[in-house]
Amino acid sequence: MSGAELRLGAVSYHPRVVTIWERFRTYFADAGVPTDYVLFSNYERLVDAVLDGTVDIGWNTNTAYVVLDHRAGGGTRILGMRDVDLDWATVLVMRKGESFEDPTELDGRVLALGSRDSGHAAILPLHYLAAEGLDALERCRLLRFDTDLGKHGDTGDSELHVVRAVAAGEADAGAISAAYFSAFRAGGVPEVADLEIVWRSPPYYHCNFTVLDSMDTEVSDRWSQALLAMDYDDPSLRPAMELEGVRRWHPGDRDGYASLTEAMRELAMLT
Amino acid sequence: MKPGREPEPAHRVDAERLEFGGGLEVLLAAALERVAPGGVLEIRTPSRAVALELPSWARLAGHELISEAGEHKAQVLRIRRGDAARILAGPLPARGDRPVLRDGELHTGDLRDGVPPEPDPGAGFAPLRSVPEAGAPAYHWQLSRRDAVWADDVGELVEQASAQQWDASRDVPWEAARELDSSTEKAVAQVMTFLAQNEYAALYVPARFLPQINPQLVELVLWLSSHVHDEARHIEVFTKRSLIGGQRGFALAATELSLHTLLDEHDFTSSSLLLNVLGEGTFLDLLRFIELHAPDAATATSARLAHRDERRHVHFGISNIKRATSLDPDLTPTLVRAAEARAAKLTSLSGLSPLLVEALTIMAAPSLQPAELAEAAADVRDLMATMESNRLRRLRACGFSAAMAQHLSDLHTPNLM
Repeated sequence: MSGAELRLGAVSYHPRVVTIWERFRTYFADAGVPTDYVLFSNYERLVDAVLDGTVDIGWNTNTAYVVLDHRAGGGTRILGMRDVDLDWATVLVMRKGESFEDPTELDGRVLALGSRDSGHAAILPLHYLAAEGLDALERCRLLRFDTDLGKHGDTGDSELHVVRAVAAGEADAGAISAAYFSAFRAGGVPEVADLEIVWRSPPYYHCNFTVLDSMDTEVSDRWSQALLAMDYDDPSLRPAMELEGVRRWHPGDRDGYASLTEAMRELAMLT
Repeated sequence: MKPGREPEPAHRVDAERLEFGGGLEVLLAAALERVAPGGVLEIRTPSRAVALELPSWARLAGHELISEAGEHKAQVLRIRRGDAARILAGPLPARGDRPVLRDGELHTGDLRDGVPPEPDPGAGFAPLRSVPEAGAPAYHWQLSRRDAVWADDVGELVEQASAQQWDASRDVPWEAARELDSSTEKAVAQVMTFLAQNEYAALYVPARFLPQINPQLVELVLWLSSHVHDEARHIEVFTKRSLIGGQRGFALAATELSLHTLLDEHDFTSSSLLLNVLGEGTFLDLLRFIELHAPDAATATSARLAHRDERRHVHFGISNIKRATSLDPDLTPTLVRAAEARAAKLTSLSGLSPLLVEALTIMAAPSLQPAELAEAAADVRDLMATMESNRLRRLRACGFSAAMAQHLSDLHTPNLM
C-alpha cells in the first residue's frame, strides 16, 4: 500500500479544523504517508464511515471511539492521541464561597450539564457522581444544554452555557471538562472569575485516532510514527498544533476508556 | 509516578492565598522559569479549589501534574515542566549596555551607535534589539536596503522634530488676520492656497514611503512619520490662514501638474532630491519671504513655524543624498535622470504663475501705490534670485559638482515645488 493515500475522517466542529488538517495533510505527505482528510458534520457519520471503509482513520472523541469499538466488536486499534487526551477530567464548578466538601451535598439541587452526547460534560459526570454516592439523574434537577449535538462537546459551546448558568445562579453546580474550564479562564471568559472547582473526577482518556483491525499494521505503524514525530518546536507546525491543542502526540492505548464504556452501557448508549 | 521514585523538586513555591485568575499564573510562570525542562516544581497551596484546578492549568501550559499530597488547607502538588519551548526563539541575552542619557533625556540618536546593521528584509515589527520569535509571517519591505534610505543625523532630526512640535489652532495669533483690506486679503489667500496645495504633495510623498520602510530602521520610521505629521500641520495652518479672512484662492492647474510629477517618482533617494532638497529647499526661501513681508502676525507666524519644520526636511534630504551618492557614485546619474524626466513632463510650464507673482507682490506691498508696488516687485525678483542661489548651494552640499548643480537647478520646476 506504500504510496497510496490514506483517508482520515474528522468532524468539523469549528472552521479551524480545515486550517489544522490542511497543515497536517502537508506534513503527512512530507513524512511519506500521504493522508487526505474528509470532514463530517457529526461523529455518528464519522463512525459509520470508518466501519464501511469510506475513511481509513477516524479522529474520534472518546464517545465516538467507544461506539466504534463496540460496533466493531472490539476490532479496532488506536494509532495515537494528544498529550491532553491522556489525563482528561471532568470538574464540578460552583460559585465561589458556596462550595461543598462532598458531591452528595448536591442532592436536591440544580446541576447544569453540557450536551448529552458529551463524554466529559454529561455522560461521565453522571457516572462518577453515582460512584460518589449521588444518583444525579434521580436526585438533582438537571439543567441540560444540548447544543451542537453530534459534536460530542468538541465545540465547548454547551460548557460555556454551563459556566454562565452557574455564574448567573440558574444552577447550583455545573459539570464541564477541566481542560475547558482552564481554557475559558485563560481566554478571559468573565463568568469564570466568579467560579471555582469543587470536585474533580478521576482521569480518563479523551480523543484518539482509531482504525479497524483490518488495516495493514505496517501502514498504520508508519502513520503512527509520523504522527508521534510531529514537533511542536517546528515554527511551521506550531500554529496548527496549537489549534489542535496538542504539544506532543502519544501512542495511546485502551486503558482510559473503561469508565466511559461502563457509563455508556449504563445509559444504554451501546446497543 | 510511584512513591519514592519522584525526582526532587528543582524549586518550591508557596502560593499562599493566590488563586487562578488572581495572579497565581504569574507566580507559577516565574517559578517555572527557574526549573529546567523535565524538572519538577513543587507548589504549596491552602486552597482546595487551586489544587483541583492546577492539573488542567498545567496541562494547558504544557506541563504535567505528577503528584498531589498533603491535606486540607496544606496541599502540596508537583508538576513536571514540559520540554516544549514557550517561545520559539533563543534565550534573551543577558542584561547589557543601556543607552546614555543627556541631562536626563533619552535621545533617539543615542538608541544605538552609528549606522545600523543591514536589516533582515523579511523581518516584521520587531522593536529595536528585541528577540524575534520564529514562525512569524515573512514581510517583503520594499525599502530595506539601509544605504538607500539612511541619513547619518536622522536620529538627531527625529529628536528635533519631536521637540519642535506646535499647534496650528493655538500657536498662531489668528485674531491678527481678521481686518486686512480686501485686496491684501485676496493676495494672502491666494499665496496661502498655493502653499497648502503644495504641502499636500509634501505629505503624500513621504506617506507613501513610510509603509515601505523596513521597521528595523526605526529611526527612518520615526523620521518619515514626523515628516508626514509636519506636513499635515502645514496643510492645516495654511488652509486656516487662507480662510480666516473670508477670502478664497485658486488651486492652480499648473501647480497640480507639477505636484503630480512628484508623485510619479517612486525611488526614495530621487524623491529626496526632488521633494526635500529642490522643492522644500526652494520653499524655505519662499516661507522666509512671506514671514518678512506678511501683512499680519498670523501669516508671519504660520510661515515661520512651517519654515522651522521644512529646514529639517531639507537637512534630511541633503544628508541622505550626500551619503547615498558617496557610497554609490553610480547613483548620481540616476538622480539626474529623475530630475530630467520630471522636467520633461513640465515643459508646458514656462514660469511661476503670474497670479502667484502678483499675489506675492501685493502681499509684500503696503499699498497699491506705484512706488510701493515697485519696491515689492523688486523684492519678489530678489526672492527668485535668492531661491536660485540657495538651491545651488544646497545641491553643492549634496555633493553635486558645480556644473551638475547648475543643471539640476535649471531643471527645477517653475512651480517651486
